[in-house]
Amino acid sequence: MEALKQLRNSLLQPLIATAIGLAAGAVFISIVGASITETYQQMWNGAFGSFYFFMSTLARSTPILLIALGLAMAFRAGVFNMGAEGQMVLGALSAALVALYMPGAGVIKLLAALITGIVVGGLWSLLAGVLEAKFKIQLLISTLLFNYIAVLFTSYLVSDPFQDKSGSAALAQTAMLEKSVWLPKLFPGMTLHAGFVIAIVAAVGLFLLFRFTSFGYEVKMLGSNPFFALYGGVSQKRVMLISMFVSGGFAGLAGTVEVLGAQYRFVDGALTMPGYAWTGLMAALLANSNPIGVIFASIFLAALQTGAMGVERNTEVPLELASVIQAVLILFISARFTYAWWKKRKQGRESHA
Amino acid sequence: MSVRLEMKNMTKRYGQFLANEGVSIAVGAGEVHAIVGENGAGKTTLMRMLYGMEEPTSGEILLDGKPVSFRGPDDAIRHGVGMVHQHFMLFPDFTVAENIVIGYEPKRGGFFDRAKAMADATALAERYRIPVSPTAVLGECSIGEQQRVEILKVLYQGAEIIILDEPTAVLTPMEVSELLATIRTLAEAGKSILLITHKLQEVMEVADRITVLRGGKVTGAVAAKDTSAEELARLMVGRDLEQLSERTEQRGEPLLVVHQVTMQEKKKKPVLDQVSFAVHHGEIVGIAGVSGNGQSELLQAISGLAAVQSGTIRLKDTDVTNRTVALIRETGLAHIPEDRYFWGAAKEETVAENALMGYHRLPAFSRGIIIQRKWFHHLVAAWIERFAIKTSSAHEKAGNLSGGNLQKLIVAREMGRETPLLLAAEPTRGVDIGAMETIHQALLEKRNKGDGILLVSSELSEILALSDRILVMFEGRIVGELSRAEATEEKISMLMAGGRGDGSTQATA
Repeated sequence: MEALKQLRNSLLQPLIATAIGLAAGAVFISIVGASITETYQQMWNGAFGSFYFFMSTLARSTPILLIALGLAMAFRAGVFNMGAEGQMVLGALSAALVALYMPGAGVIKLLAALITGIVVGGLWSLLAGVLEAKFKIQLLISTLLFNYIAVLFTSYLVSDPFQDKSGSAALAQTAMLEKSVWLPKLFPGMTLHAGFVIAIVAAVGLFLLFRFTSFGYEVKMLGSNPFFALYGGVSQKRVMLISMFVSGGFAGLAGTVEVLGAQYRFVDGALTMPGYAWTGLMAALLANSNPIGVIFASIFLAALQTGAMGVERNTEVPLELASVIQAVLILFISARFTYAWWKKRKQGRESHA
Repeated sequence: MSVRLEMKNMTKRYGQFLANEGVSIAVGAGEVHAIVGENGAGKTTLMRMLYGMEEPTSGEILLDGKPVSFRGPDDAIRHGVGMVHQHFMLFPDFTVAENIVIGYEPKRGGFFDRAKAMADATALAERYRIPVSPTAVLGECSIGEQQRVEILKVLYQGAEIIILDEPTAVLTPMEVSELLATIRTLAEAGKSILLITHKLQEVMEVADRITVLRGGKVTGAVAAKDTSAEELARLMVGRDLEQLSERTEQRGEPLLVVHQVTMQEKKKKPVLDQVSFAVHHGEIVGIAGVSGNGQSELLQAISGLAAVQSGTIRLKDTDVTNRTVALIRETGLAHIPEDRYFWGAAKEETVAENALMGYHRLPAFSRGIIIQRKWFHHLVAAWIERFAIKTSSAHEKAGNLSGGNLQKLIVAREMGRETPLLLAAEPTRGVDIGAMETIHQALLEKRNKGDGILLVSSELSEILALSDRILVMFEGRIVGELSRAEATEEKISMLMAGGRGDGSTQATA
């Protein structure tokens, strides 16, 4: 009973935020001058209307989900990792380079590429953590700025040293990976690839980690009351560094599965343009950093995007509809945090009465 | 003495639970009426009903003979009922005068009239002989002064009936006697005072009449002159309190040796100044002192929560100076922290998870990296039983426990480690008499087993009752040491105030 009540409480606010987001979308639609019901019908069809569209939505949710899982880890530990984008592109490019240039059998290369993507993303993130631990450089700022370094650096690497010069058009991208290192598609003719399975397994793994291990306990207590954790002998530095590595690793993995499962090469801007990192951040916030909740939040946010593409294909309403709904969602999710904080304060005062 | 406020047959039911059952009290003008009872006896519920924060299940509140029911604190204030909360509701960045007039600010031309606020506050303070400095910034005032501001605020709002909720819990002995004097002054000025407390000595000193609550019912309504602290305790607890047994000295080998420890921020006065002392096996060493004289810092230094600049701390012959909390705990330290909400617990998490802290990496409760919560639950259940912790289950949010019950949980957790050294800071702050007895007995048992305890308390009576030796801290230094035999409240108070303990009051600083 208690568990059910808790579930209801944790679901209620995201659902309200979503409803308000959709209502704001409706205002946008009517300003454009289209029919609200028809547009949302098209949106639903674009996201879930057929098996193909549904699989495309899941494919799009894959990098979002992986990034959101990493951030869920970081947020739980009270660590602000805003550098998922940089961690993602660095991981993705490193993985692509390993897949391209390492000798050996396809499977070995595939595994090596996956591990490289995780490790490089993790180390890049860990660097910010070390700077905080050693020099008290705030994570919020360092991770945010590290994005520029990583994105511009990878952009340079694929614009010159590792650029694919074979094609006629000089695009900023690496050469195509050979087929043996591709992540398999789950269904023939569909975009969904094995990366989605990896992400789901990772979500369940993270859930178990939070729930049952001593490390998960330390993360939870640090997030809940850092002074209590310190008093109990939890090393904040250690948990922070591990959380940074894990969250960066997840971001690196997100970029890696996109490269190995969808694009088959590293294309400059292909990971940053769709805003995977920021959508992932939203998914983690929307799900209140619950790994299982993150699965649904990621699919929902991906569906908004694929649905909006469907809307653009079939109606006069532009793709930006998804952005409007997302923006309002952000607003209300942050409002939820402020509200929770405010309520806590009020309760704190009243409980002394 | 005319009856000003009457509560008749107040009953409050939460589901099956009766928080108050047929409670009646009457308070006259100029009367100090104390309401005493253990935690959970229903004192707070009664006051919340009076204050309009809870709807009574049945019963009647009469103010000057007319039935009333307040819709909330604002409404209560309009009818002249004001409450001074245990945790102050003040703005630290505002001045004392601003805090006093807040919500009912004097205005001129629509703007805040600062000069009049200052004059009003000063006049009010003089009228009731409550010393405050109106121009001071509140955050820089002592706790005692902040409390006086809170009282003046309620007076400014026109209160005739003033509820004081555990007002002495946060005060030093000196401030307590000042507060009691203020309460008498207010009563002489015709105000009615409702004093909620469980400190019986203070009640005997200041109250005219006393209502005792136990389990939501009135177990005694007496005049102070016709009763004694012992009788009140019996009415509160429902039985005679056991006296702490006399004991034999059994001091063993040194366990904790603190040598010339100094803690100091650059270019500032040291908060710990060359502190040296030892705690031996089988003894309780009490540290007395007005809070803020280095006791907190000393505990943090020993437990590894704060770094020291010089000196050494040895525990069981291991140098633990500036080592990690985890290592020091492993070496043999448990720690009942002075602030249970800040250090001692995570309010948002369950009782079980709060209990697990410090145990979560022990091989006894984990298999590899997996915590075996089932094994641990038996232990928590045993603690809940032994210390009579009132909680609906181990899965209740710790923040829902009353302060005293949470404290008992923390004490159980730290005692449960069975470490040779226990730091016990304010181990019974805010807990009821019954729980205090349990905790004191547990501390003594631990001592008799041959473990060492460093006890820090702002309650002199607690220090005197438990300690084998007493050290007094003043301005970051240990200014005196007294054996159990030679220690008296007077000697300690003198040292606490910076005197030499030989009768002279000259400061040693």
